[in-house]
Amino acid sequence: MEFDVVIIGGGLAGLTAGLALQEKGKRTAIVSAGQNALHFSSGAFGLLDAEDPLQAAKELPEHHPYARIGAENLPKYTEAAKALFGKAGIALNGEPLKNGWRLTPQGGLKRAWMTLPEVDIFPDKEAIKGHKVLIVNLLGYLDFNTSFLALGLEKQGCSCRIETLRLPEMERLRENPSEMRSVNIARVMDSAWIKVAAEIKTLVKDEDWIILPLVFGLKDATVPDRIREAVPAKVLFVGTMPPSVPGMRTQMQLKKAYEALGGTFLMGDEAISAKTEGSRVLSVSTRNLGEVKAAEFVLATGSYFSKGIASDMNHVFEPIFGADVLLDEGRSAWYDPDFFSPQAFLSYGVATDGQFRVLKDQAPMDNLHAIGSVLGGARSLELGCGAGVAILTALSVAETI
Amino acid sequence: MRKDNEFDVIIVGGGITGAGTARDCALRGLKVLLVERHDIATGATGRNHGLLHSGARYAVTDKESATECIEENMILRRIARHCVDETDGFFITLPEDDLAYQAKFVESCTAAGIRAEIIDPKEAIRLEPSVNPDLIGAVRVPDGSVDPFRLCSANMLDAKLHGAKILVYSEVTEFIKEGDTIRGVRVRDNRSGEISEYYAPVTVNAAGIWGHQIAAMAGANIGMFPAKGALLIFAHRVNSIVINRCRKPANADILVPGDTVCVIGTTSTKVPFEECDNMHVTPDEVDLLLTEGAKLAPALATTRILRAYAGVRPLVSADNDPSGRNISRGIVCLDHETRDGIKGFVSITGGKLMTYRLMGEQAADLVCKKLNINKKCETATLPLPGSEGGKTEEVSKKIWAVPSAPQKAAAGRAGTRAEVIPLKNPLDQALVCECEEVSSGEVRYALEHLEVDNLVDLRRRTRVGMGTCQGGLCACRAAGMIAEARGCAEKAEADLKGFMNERWKGMYPIAWGNTLREAEYTQWVYNYVIGLNEQ
Repeated sequence: MEFDVVIIGGGLAGLTAGLALQEKGKRTAIVSAGQNALHFSSGAFGLLDAEDPLQAAKELPEHHPYARIGAENLPKYTEAAKALFGKAGIALNGEPLKNGWRLTPQGGLKRAWMTLPEVDIFPDKEAIKGHKVLIVNLLGYLDFNTSFLALGLEKQGCSCRIETLRLPEMERLRENPSEMRSVNIARVMDSAWIKVAAEIKTLVKDEDWIILPLVFGLKDATVPDRIREAVPAKVLFVGTMPPSVPGMRTQMQLKKAYEALGGTFLMGDEAISAKTEGSRVLSVSTRNLGEVKAAEFVLATGSYFSKGIASDMNHVFEPIFGADVLLDEGRSAWYDPDFFSPQAFLSYGVATDGQFRVLKDQAPMDNLHAIGSVLGGARSLELGCGAGVAILTALSVAETI
Repeated sequence: MRKDNEFDVIIVGGGITGAGTARDCALRGLKVLLVERHDIATGATGRNHGLLHSGARYAVTDKESATECIEENMILRRIARHCVDETDGFFITLPEDDLAYQAKFVESCTAAGIRAEIIDPKEAIRLEPSVNPDLIGAVRVPDGSVDPFRLCSANMLDAKLHGAKILVYSEVTEFIKEGDTIRGVRVRDNRSGEISEYYAPVTVNAAGIWGHQIAAMAGANIGMFPAKGALLIFAHRVNSIVINRCRKPANADILVPGDTVCVIGTTSTKVPFEECDNMHVTPDEVDLLLTEGAKLAPALATTRILRAYAGVRPLVSADNDPSGRNISRGIVCLDHETRDGIKGFVSITGGKLMTYRLMGEQAADLVCKKLNINKKCETATLPLPGSEGGKTEEVSKKIWAVPSAPQKAAAGRAGTRAEVIPLKNPLDQALVCECEEVSSGEVRYALEHLEVDNLVDLRRRTRVGMGTCQGGLCACRAAGMIAEARGCAEKAEADLKGFMNERWKGMYPIAWGNTLREAEYTQWVYNYVIGLNEQ
């Protein structure tokens, strides 16, 4: 098999790069091992946790991916991101150049850049104050903590009432001790949402907000909007414990759009090793297809969770190419004993030059670029820039190639 | 008529020794109060191998302990069968060890009454394929494994069923003295700050390593020796038979299978008393445990580690011994009236998890003597609550006819007591913790009946959060259930943060490979998706 570009990794970064490259007329393939960070998406994308993210991006150290892109280039890519998702049928909420807020499952607010269609983005913190809220859960569903949500909202001056729906459609799920999870419920809800909407109509009193868990719209992306139309108050969907229903649907939508543009998505395949000659990658070997050749390669394998970065007792490494990794020496420097403090290990990842060309033995590989959370130095969790780094580095590299 | 705050005996300490003493005293008809400053089993009781010692380990160096161990071993198989796994154990000799030691070992075991049978190394490999194939000798002994949390809870429960009052989160701040006699204790409720007074003619100090301070508070000095022991839990049950090294006790020479995991340990280092409340496992300890552990079972080198933890042995000092390895594990039962002139005060210490019942018996005997009560000890024959039935399979079939997986898991943990846990309908059987198959019914039952204050307490009683994901998903679910059951989301949320830190404490010393992968996921879920860090 031979392509112009082979992208290793089918998460947010890989799919974004794939879409952008196909649009440019390149012949590409995505090798996707399966699980990626979209599976635990909050339903919101973070650009940078700051009042003015584009201004704050200018202050980042030189090895941060945004600094590599160049703060002056970020606006054009943030605009392009919204347009690209729009073409893929995903109408993101929010403005490309600004931050807003997302309501968390703990009833708090977190900065958000843009959100998936069913997730509200608020321009300011005042917007969630003083509402009368009806929180509706489904009987036996433990991954949506209504009491924490109510606690958080009450701190914001809202008043909350919690109701639980018992739907006959869910009896079969309840009979299996481990079936009451978001994705299984969402499968049922693709049709049973009508009943949910009808039940809510009988429950709602004087509330102006109804909050539901994000278990709607797995296959049919229109379900959340249809519930909104059917219910006589504003309906908000709030995230659940993983797996993330909107995250998984988004991955499917992006994949479909990518294939519609002629991209080859190699689902369930995994890159094992690579053949190189000097500073050029000749091919990668995948588990199912063997050798796959291309002129250019993009490393979008994600971080630890997606196995783009691996570790043993004394090393953190990149397993396919053996690329240079930015990290601290000595295991005890990898972590902070406080779970809620920034963890150094989360910032470890592949080292690149200014154009995101992967460094190996301190020299750049000519035709291997890295994008997304496999990159070192992003501190994505601490800085709230996970999705932003994935999307913007993908667009930047797609332009370079 | 006796007042509510007057008892026959007050027991200080909610570990296995306190629990065993409380049960024994309660079975003899005494009115018992047990006070514990944290939760049950928070000290050495919950921080050991979970080894059902045959006593073989001490046969050569400490015959008294060895004899006590084998006797108690046989008793626990009868009275605590739902806490015990009868795995047997090997003492293996490696090429670097002296094979001549084996003969002395077998001879000493036999003298102590421990069945010790030399088997061919090839036979040992056949019976336990994980064992180091380079072994040159193997001896089979009646070791096993025991769940210390379950054992401690069952003793507490039986004490309660026989009228004992158990107060957790209740710390002794002062002894109430009248001349040279201890009349009772002043106790602070560590949750509310409220102070109460309780009276009894005898107070038993069963506070483990913290018994040093309790004795000092009463005016007595017990020269205790805090010996830290670090251990690692692996995510699979690599071995099904306990593996020991056939040599004088040393570091990391015991590998114990328990439930779905196995545990390697321990180290032995003297630590200052101040450190006993907050033990950390160091990178050096992890390296040592792994290197030595892989000599017992080479597969350990490539098996995922789940957690690192450490406990402090409550040894009573003898001679100058920097590691404490040579101090007897024998029981120390002190009558402070004859020893120090303090009336109404007894200390029960030294000993081991294995000999807790005998420790309880000795303490109860002394208490009864002081109270002029002539009642025989029954704890060696009466089964603990939950242990009256047979194997898990039979027990669960008797309760539910066709038991589901969560019902069987509950019966595995609670034995025959599973019948009082609500597990009939699907909502009760819905799993909170997939790794350990803990259902909603079990969680609700624990919250209502088992003195659970927080998530860590819940974990001790149900195993919620003890599996491979280390609470990644179940912690949030269980916290939600606590919030609903108690009507206090604010406390449950703070509790959830505390629990995540408690889990992390056992993970960061071994944070590489899959543990680092799990940690990244958990970080994103808790600190970004649900935003717990901002609350």
